[in-house]
Amino acid sequence: MIATPPPVDKRPALQRFLSNLRGAPRALRDTALRGGKPNTDRTRSTFVFGNVFLHLHPVRTHRWSLRWATTLGLGIASLASFLLTLITGVLLMFYYKPHVEVAYDSIKDIAFVVPTGNLIRNIHRWAANVMVVTVILHMARAFYTAAYRAPREFNWLIGMGLLVVTLGLSFTGYLLPWDQLAYWAITIGANIAQSPREITDALGVTESFDPGGLQKLLLLGSDQVGEEALIRFYLLHVMILPLVLLGLLSVHFWRIRKDGGLVRPKDADARLGPVRAADYPVFTEAPRKTYQLAAVVRGTSGAVGRAPENTVPSMPHLFYAELAVTMLTIAVCVALAMWSDAPLKELANPQVPENPAKAPWYFLGLQELVAYSAFMGGVGIPAIVLLGLGLIPYLDRETEGTGEWFGGRAGKRIVLQALFVGFGAALVIEYFAIRYGWLREWFPNIAQLWITFVNPGTVLTLIYAAYSMWLVKRHDSTRAGALGLFTCFLCGFVFLTVIGTHFRGPNWDFYWSPADWPGH
Amino acid sequence: MQANKHLLLWSSLVALGLLVSAAVQENVYKDWRVLQASAAEAPGSPGPIGIHLRQVVVPTLHAADRCVTCHVGMAAGEPVVAGDPVLRPHPVVGHDPTVMGCTACHGGQGRATEKDAAHGDVHFWPQPMIPRRYADAGCGGCHTHLAVPTLTSLDAGQAALERNDCLACHKLDGRGGTLRPLGAGGMEGPDLSFVGARGFPADWYEKHLAARERAADPASPWTSSFGKIETEERGSIEELLSSRVGAPQLVRAKATFNSLGCRGCHKVAGVGGDDGPDLTLIGARDPGRIDFSRVKGRHDLATWLAEHFRNPAGIVPGSAMPILGLDEEQIDLLVRYMLSLRRTDAPEAWWPKDRVRAERLGEREFGEDGATLYGSFCAACHGPAGEGMRYPGMPAFPAIGNPDFLAVASDEFLTTNIAHGRPGRRMAAWGATENGLRPGEIAAIVAHLRTQSGVTREPDERPARWARTDAAAGGALYSAHCAQCHGDKGQGGEGPALANGALLGAASDTFLYETIRRGRRGTTMTGFSQPSTVRPALDEAEIESIVAFLRTWEKQP
Repeated sequence: MIATPPPVDKRPALQRFLSNLRGAPRALRDTALRGGKPNTDRTRSTFVFGNVFLHLHPVRTHRWSLRWATTLGLGIASLASFLLTLITGVLLMFYYKPHVEVAYDSIKDIAFVVPTGNLIRNIHRWAANVMVVTVILHMARAFYTAAYRAPREFNWLIGMGLLVVTLGLSFTGYLLPWDQLAYWAITIGANIAQSPREITDALGVTESFDPGGLQKLLLLGSDQVGEEALIRFYLLHVMILPLVLLGLLSVHFWRIRKDGGLVRPKDADARLGPVRAADYPVFTEAPRKTYQLAAVVRGTSGAVGRAPENTVPSMPHLFYAELAVTMLTIAVCVALAMWSDAPLKELANPQVPENPAKAPWYFLGLQELVAYSAFMGGVGIPAIVLLGLGLIPYLDRETEGTGEWFGGRAGKRIVLQALFVGFGAALVIEYFAIRYGWLREWFPNIAQLWITFVNPGTVLTLIYAAYSMWLVKRHDSTRAGALGLFTCFLCGFVFLTVIGTHFRGPNWDFYWSPADWPGH
Repeated sequence: MQANKHLLLWSSLVALGLLVSAAVQENVYKDWRVLQASAAEAPGSPGPIGIHLRQVVVPTLHAADRCVTCHVGMAAGEPVVAGDPVLRPHPVVGHDPTVMGCTACHGGQGRATEKDAAHGDVHFWPQPMIPRRYADAGCGGCHTHLAVPTLTSLDAGQAALERNDCLACHKLDGRGGTLRPLGAGGMEGPDLSFVGARGFPADWYEKHLAARERAADPASPWTSSFGKIETEERGSIEELLSSRVGAPQLVRAKATFNSLGCRGCHKVAGVGGDDGPDLTLIGARDPGRIDFSRVKGRHDLATWLAEHFRNPAGIVPGSAMPILGLDEEQIDLLVRYMLSLRRTDAPEAWWPKDRVRAERLGEREFGEDGATLYGSFCAACHGPAGEGMRYPGMPAFPAIGNPDFLAVASDEFLTTNIAHGRPGRRMAAWGATENGLRPGEIAAIVAHLRTQSGVTREPDERPARWARTDAAAGGALYSAHCAQCHGDKGQGGEGPALANGALLGAASDTFLYETIRRGRRGTTMTGFSQPSTVRPALDEAEIESIVAFLRTWEKQP
């Protein structure tokens, strides 16, 4: 199509100048949006693919993806809370000084003197916690709707990487206030990193082969938490991990598009029914081009065998949904921030250990296991869980029930049963270990290796694994086993975290309530 | 899309509302803003003051004290503000609060700008403010009051001062100083409240006498209020004045500590016994780490200490500290002194003279006279006048002021006992290498024991070992007459253990012999030269044989 040249403006120059001046804001908007006001199919499309921030989105979104029940908005909520920590974190960096002499004082200044500093810090802390929660829930959503199946296997792995980086970000931020809580939580964390020594000590090879000691040294830069550790954690927290996260995040989003958008059941179109008249019409103008690139992509052509009517323009449908979830996340984080202050205990004091010294809450389930065996709780079982999670998409090659919550009614029954088994087994094991003790109480001279391999954590893991194998056999389906195993691990995580958070007191003894702790 | 639009609208409104309310709270309703604004409306106010954060920054002390954000009148260059009493200026004290900051003396959290957090009444601040009524305990953060005598000496000095009408012209601790020696309009006598720190001329008395000569006007206070002062009273007055450093209650508190023998069990700054906890930093204890489960009332260190003095084992189960039977005034003074045992983290260049003298030049915090030393180290166990003590659940502590004991015990025997203690018994070794008493100080204590009782040792020409008679016969007599109280093998019981190498090594035969012969008046040890209702008198040879028998234990390991 040949563009017609614009008509020559014959008005006097001064009039043209004034008219251009009047039109400047409008021209600014049009040029910023590249395509002008997004009010036709074409301009709406340009609005999306012509924008560096939005072009990771598809131009049109399937209606299934916009149902609240499809995703619960958990992915966007994770992203929103991450952006919130990013913005508040940058603000905090203006005042925070990463040196042991002044770190604590600078946090006190942020809390007491910097205008709204306390609120910003609270939002940062709450957004970080919300992010951990939503990331875990988002993963559960992806699992229960079988979104990890082909062709999305690799994006599931990227997602796991994001989970690890999220926990890493949270954990590295924990040390920065340099108070007692921070100091001893990181000390615990570093000792967990050192826990492979439990094995090397038992084998008597620590002298020559000490991966645990090396891990701790890499983490702390010293044999105890000090200035070196603070700088390392600061650098990881404000630069390295956020960059890694952003990189993984870009791949994660890009893969969503490339892997065919959000997962949906095969019969999604039928279930959605026709587009209501109130919804935006599907196409306002007929396509006028053929797409040469369509010749090289997979499939016969763009929308063969599927009615295009079930997609709607991303602008505005998808963006309203995303903005709504983002604002909801912000509102929740601000409300939480105003409701409860971020903790700040007394200045870190290496001479006075906290008792109990507790890791951040999301690691307390692991700390509960660490109480029995540092290696299994800190390294062994997390490694088994991560390996299991990573293998799921490659073991479950079924296609039945993809995009369906729990894959249908049978899956719901399995998950319900697994909830009972998961909580029940954890409860029984913990009750037994707390009430009657474990091997060390019965055989004081037993070799540590025995406890390393036979402890409540490994027994629980074995029970879960056996249960899931039984499910595979019983339902003749890998997916059934995966549903059971994932649900059990989620139950174990929740149960152990609650035990570690609420029911463990000084010397990691069991108490019904923190109010019963001695000395308070 | 409609649902999403609603969600967007309402969550945006909620977020916006929360942020606006946070902004209003931050910029309008902060306590310190309200307080500073109130200055304008107060009756008699000269006008509004600038509403902004104020602070005293003392880099040397690592302090940024924002206390003056509320206590505006205490900030440098602020006008005296009417209205809320919180805005009042600081009372006049030895240190300018705009130079020293606030937390160095008062404790609390200087960086905070909210009342509870600033006063340290929050869970995670290890050093809350010292309660106002004990405010002078804060001096202990830097100062070490030197040579504080016993309470008796302080009272004697105060009495002498009053008796000689010094307060007619001089002010001391806020009292006195009404007369003008040179007539109305003339200068008053110098304020004596700080002379312990600033020093006073050694010839003050002679100068006063000379001035009195010069005045010669019979109506002048020089004649009416000043007269001859006895040497002994002058000594008391000087001792009192040396202790005047502007903190009379704290000095009194320390004098109380020095009179009750607390150092017999507790160390302060490296000097004292080992039976109880070291008290050097007791006043800086973090209330968050103290067990308050048995303490009624406020959960602060002062309350804990007071309750603990009333009943130590009731607050700390298993505590070996006996109930001392202190009255409320003594408890209050001891709490004050305990709270003063703290350390502000100041560089050495900022140390006051007294602290340098104590920590670098080895000067003593307690007076080095025998009475103060005895009061500080011995009185808790041996009694304020050496009459001995009995605490429930503990063996009786010997009455070392007993005239029968002092008459036969040589000064060397006393010195050896103090310096080396009695291994295996409660008596610790007090020598310079063990618990820090110097030879001169031990000698002063021995001299004090002599002057207190007025008993000198009877001359003894015999050598230290002279008993030569049959030890076997002595053994039989011991079993018959001594074993009941001192144990079959001399291991002790109601009476002290006699099979004790340290005792036998230091005691001369005369000491043992005379102790058996005369006994100790006022104790269960009766003299064996006199018969009693249950046994005959022992003759000299028999007593000597017992001494010889006791000597057989000396050779045992």
